[in-house]
Amino acid sequence: MSQSYSSRGSVSRIDDSISVPVRLFIFSSLIWLLVASVLGVIVAAKLQVPSFMGECPWFTYGRIETLQRNAFIYGWASNALFALNLWIMSSLARFELKSSWLPVLGGVVWNLTLSYGLIQVLLGQLNGFALLEMPKEVAPALVVAFMFAALWPAVAFARRPTGNVFVSQWYIIGATFVFPVIMVIAQLMLLWCPTLGAMQALVHSWFYQNLILLWLGGSALSAIYYFIAKESGRTISAYYLAAVGFWTYFLFASWTGPATLLGGPIPVWLQSVGVVAALMMLVPTVILVVNFVGTLAPRNGIVQSWNNTTLRFVLVGVVGFTLSALLNIAFSTRSLNALVHFTQFSQAQEHLAIYSFVSMVIFGAAYYILPRLTGSFWPSAKLVHLHFWSCTAGTVLFVVAGLTQGWAAHGRTDFAFSALPGLLAAALLLVGHSAFVLNALGMLTAESAPSNRRSY
Amino acid sequence: MKNLNLILAGVFFTLAASFGGLLLSGQVQIGQLNRAPAEEGGPLFPPNEPGLAIQGRQVYLSLGCVTCHTQQVRPAGQGNDIARGWAARPSVARDYVLQSQILIGSRRLGPDLMNYGARVKSDNELHAYLRTSMAGSVMPAYGFLYTQSKDGSFRPTEDAVALVAYLKSLKIDYSSPEAKLKQ
Repeated sequence: MSQSYSSRGSVSRIDDSISVPVRLFIFSSLIWLLVASVLGVIVAAKLQVPSFMGECPWFTYGRIETLQRNAFIYGWASNALFALNLWIMSSLARFELKSSWLPVLGGVVWNLTLSYGLIQVLLGQLNGFALLEMPKEVAPALVVAFMFAALWPAVAFARRPTGNVFVSQWYIIGATFVFPVIMVIAQLMLLWCPTLGAMQALVHSWFYQNLILLWLGGSALSAIYYFIAKESGRTISAYYLAAVGFWTYFLFASWTGPATLLGGPIPVWLQSVGVVAALMMLVPTVILVVNFVGTLAPRNGIVQSWNNTTLRFVLVGVVGFTLSALLNIAFSTRSLNALVHFTQFSQAQEHLAIYSFVSMVIFGAAYYILPRLTGSFWPSAKLVHLHFWSCTAGTVLFVVAGLTQGWAAHGRTDFAFSALPGLLAAALLLVGHSAFVLNALGMLTAESAPSNRRSY
Repeated sequence: MKNLNLILAGVFFTLAASFGGLLLSGQVQIGQLNRAPAEEGGPLFPPNEPGLAIQGRQVYLSLGCVTCHTQQVRPAGQGNDIARGWAARPSVARDYVLQSQILIGSRRLGPDLMNYGARVKSDNELHAYLRTSMAGSVMPAYGFLYTQSKDGSFRPTEDAVALVAYLKSLKIDYSSPEAKLKQ
């Protein structure tokens, strides 16, 4: 992997202006990533040895798994995406952040609130809705913190000096808009003034799909567009389709919720609407894949990308996105869904989306952003290799084991499965993440000399 | 597509459309359901939960049981939930109207519990299962729900008693206007 940094030892004025909040977001995301990885190993170990840490109600499988999921989504992925979105938008819109204390305040409140919420979960105050388990008083604080931390890309976009616009910017604006809206609506309709009975399942599915596909997925797609164009130096192939891809992605993704409730206690016509929306996701998926692969594949581009640290991670992310999107489309159809619903297969589908796709793209982006932000090199190339191979092996193992075991479970009436591949995968991810965190912390703490800073 | 307001308006429209199309229309259709008799003039279903079961629900929630157990039975054409004997009929929206927070779940590391109360034989069997788990099961033993007295016998704590009452209250052994039990 070549290390090609155009401005060794120097930090641009734009990067300097957003340096403090972006560092804070990345630092917090690294801590949460470690927490989530350790919890991930515990969760996997509990499936292998059910009595492991079983003497105390604090460490039941349900609570630890909930902690792991929330720490991963709200701690790691969301913090990292705050940093990514702000950085990408600032660099595209030539934006200098004047009042960086506002996003810093937002980041601090976000992480304190999250810590409070997770402690409450550990103590047994939890709700039954995935990713909304934290007590209801947490949500308003999270939304307010989000406003302070994440709305700066919109400001940057509105104030950009030129009229130019790139597809990444649309995705960032869209994703940033979606999160507070769905969070407020879901919290209102589920926890503060709960809707009746089975309606809650419908509301939750709507929230969940929007959170994964639009907030996490939309932000990560923006990063893929940006880094593919930036690092390969090529223009996006079939760029005229990108706008269609963006609008169809947002339009159809937000209707796919009921497709996750097939056979559930909600009206059948709503389930069918969800299935149709899930099938229509084929349109944005094809466009996105044409944009991504069409840009990278010609003229030996894949090999060149493989030799570039950022693009190597992004490539895995593109594969993860494609596979995840295609599986979601195929397994939203009633007949296939009936076979794998509720099994490890669905777990593997979700892992593909939030890890193989979103997290891998974040890793790739971090390898590009951090050197520019700190003005120093990655301390160890060995750790970069360890990070890549360990995480790639871990995620492939997790997905393959989940898909095959989930598929094999259909038609059976027992719940037997082998937990060993999952445990191995969790251990591999922990190793990879530790290498990444070690490397990144080394970089964040090494202060570049002031004389190295130049402005242009 | 260069104007911030235009993009925001578009994204707002996509969200508003799905909110209206899915959630508002869902609310109109199933948001106001009431208990109903299986046939004209009969008793209303679902039955009220006993007080102890409502306490047990909190224990179920707090231990995170919903992570591994669903509470929904799919109809015969959609999966083998009924064929494997979990219930005689699928669960329908009306079955959930008395629950302040539904625990429908999305993952099955263990059996569905929608109709568990109708399947389980006795309190003692359930207590034994919770305390020691079952050989080969991935479910851990919840030993902390029990205290051992001097003569070596195990006594269930208040939480365990409530949890068992809750699990036994989970039944869809009645006909509903939307889903009749098979004759």
